[in-house]
Amino acid sequence: MKRSAAEIVREYGPFPGVEAVHGVSYDGAQVWFASGDKLSAVDPDSGKVARSLDIAAHAGTAFDGRHLFQIAEDRIQKIDAASGAIVSTIPAPGGGGDSGLAWAEGSLWVGQYRERKIHQVDPDTGRILRTIESKRFVTGVTWVDGELWHGTWEGDDSDIRRIDPETGKVLEQLDMPAGTMVSGLESDGGDRLFCGGGASGKVRAVRRPKRS
Amino acid sequence: MESLITAAARALEAGDPLGALNRVALRNDAPSLALRGIAMAQLGDLAKAKTLLRSAARAFGPREAVARARCVVAEAEIALVSRDLSWPAKSLAAARATLASHGDLANAAYAGHIEARRLLLLGRIDEAERTLAAISAVPLAPASLVVRDLVVAGIAIRRLKTRDARAALDRAGKAALQARIPALVAEVDSANLILNTPAARLIARGSEHPLLLGEVERLATSTALVVDTFHHVVRRQGTAVSLGTRPVLFALARLLAQAWPADVSREALISGAFQARHVDESHRARLRVEIGRLRTQLKPLAEISATRQGFELAPRKTRDVIVLARPVEEKHAAVLAILADGEPWSSSALALALQMSARSVQRALEELARSNKVQSFGHGRARRWMTPPVPGFPTGLLLPGPLLKA
Repeated sequence: MKRSAAEIVREYGPFPGVEAVHGVSYDGAQVWFASGDKLSAVDPDSGKVARSLDIAAHAGTAFDGRHLFQIAEDRIQKIDAASGAIVSTIPAPGGGGDSGLAWAEGSLWVGQYRERKIHQVDPDTGRILRTIESKRFVTGVTWVDGELWHGTWEGDDSDIRRIDPETGKVLEQLDMPAGTMVSGLESDGGDRLFCGGGASGKVRAVRRPKRS
Repeated sequence: MESLITAAARALEAGDPLGALNRVALRNDAPSLALRGIAMAQLGDLAKAKTLLRSAARAFGPREAVARARCVVAEAEIALVSRDLSWPAKSLAAARATLASHGDLANAAYAGHIEARRLLLLGRIDEAERTLAAISAVPLAPASLVVRDLVVAGIAIRRLKTRDARAALDRAGKAALQARIPALVAEVDSANLILNTPAARLIARGSEHPLLLGEVERLATSTALVVDTFHHVVRRQGTAVSLGTRPVLFALARLLAQAWPADVSREALISGAFQARHVDESHRARLRVEIGRLRTQLKPLAEISATRQGFELAPRKTRDVIVLARPVEEKHAAVLAILADGEPWSSSALALALQMSARSVQRALEELARSNKVQSFGHGRARRWMTPPVPGFPTGLLLPGPLLKA
């Protein structure tokens, strides 16, 4: 396993009226973050909030190219990104113990925080297709270039780790600075990983290491 | 964090404990236990709340030091509201240090305010003030501001600094409106009441009238010789003679001061100070001895001269003698004065606060209960005492939302 310190390249926020960031996503242009009763889009260049949807948003957020998915209480809402309307709702696999959310390969990937698990879920029915065990409390989850990354937050420590999607084995670990919590994770498809900063109300961009 | 925990914590913060319970009622993981505990506390079931918070503190993992410390702070606040003053203050101090070292300054400050409130209730005013002063300046939520200013006002009231008390209560009132928590607004109102209700009685030259706290304060700068029944002290400006450990001498001083400028007969002094039913020669001998002792004690402030039928007071350097007495004097005035805060007290907490033996407090409470001046609920160690005019169960329990955040 490769282990190194996370390199934070930029910080966004804290944003007015936002107490905590519970989840993040990226739609190809904007970074979305969940803050309890709102889902907001930030322009990653200017750092300004471009748009906000009034939607219950208690944990992870994901984007499938057209829809945003958002965990609220014990369900996952599917939202039309253009109109902001809730299209459908499926039960969340952790029954409310859910934290991170990602979309990849036609499935939703849901982190179940204290159970230290990641579930692969059918986005139409909410059926659990399979479950990956992690060693730590799981917050955000994201897929990029066939790599499965997730954030951890246990007690007062957080890191970002790449795990083997088959075995759950940790392949690479980026340690966040002390007191920096990861409450959500999303790749921009390139070399940036966006992290929700929990009660700091911030979103941070961390450099994704290059594959050698 | 987790979805339902976030939702439940937000419900709690919005003042909806039932909404919070709905979301985590059936879960037994650490954060759910903590949230359920705080919700139960807000609903008034303090015993259940305490159990839940204690299990939550145990259920958090060894790496979750901050979460555990927050549970300890919440439990300490419940103990304070239940007037369980024997609750280990050390755990609170340790939790406060943990929160501060992990950068949770808002909750560390909150823990400090709880510590200061406890000291204030115990009558350790100087320590309460020092504790408050040592809390690092962090931006506080309105609810926390109310708590802080109520402690400041409490200290000022005990010190008879009416203007400081009013200023603190004004700030507390504004913050309470901002926090939009009705219980807090009510708490500030009832504290304001203290400033507008007679705090004492002034007895001078045979007549008496009630005094507001502000008037009591002004009295402190008067040049009169004051016999202060609150502190069992005889004083004139900077000079004070404490008779706290000499109740008979103080009783004599008071009888003489109340009658001044007239004298008091031996019989009246004996029956008033010795509680003797029949006066005989041995009492007269004892009176001579006690007057002699009082004379020595009061030397810097007054003389006591013998008259044909008894004794009279002759104050030095002043033309005025007054007695400062409690508004209503009863046998167990000190117990009632503490219960007047409307909160439920255990007899052991009362004994701690009054520095009396547990047995004497128990006897006083039982006597007061027979005349319906106090009431009790609960049994055994959980038994609590309060004064009847307070409706329901007013709790100062505020447990702020940030306790569970992060």
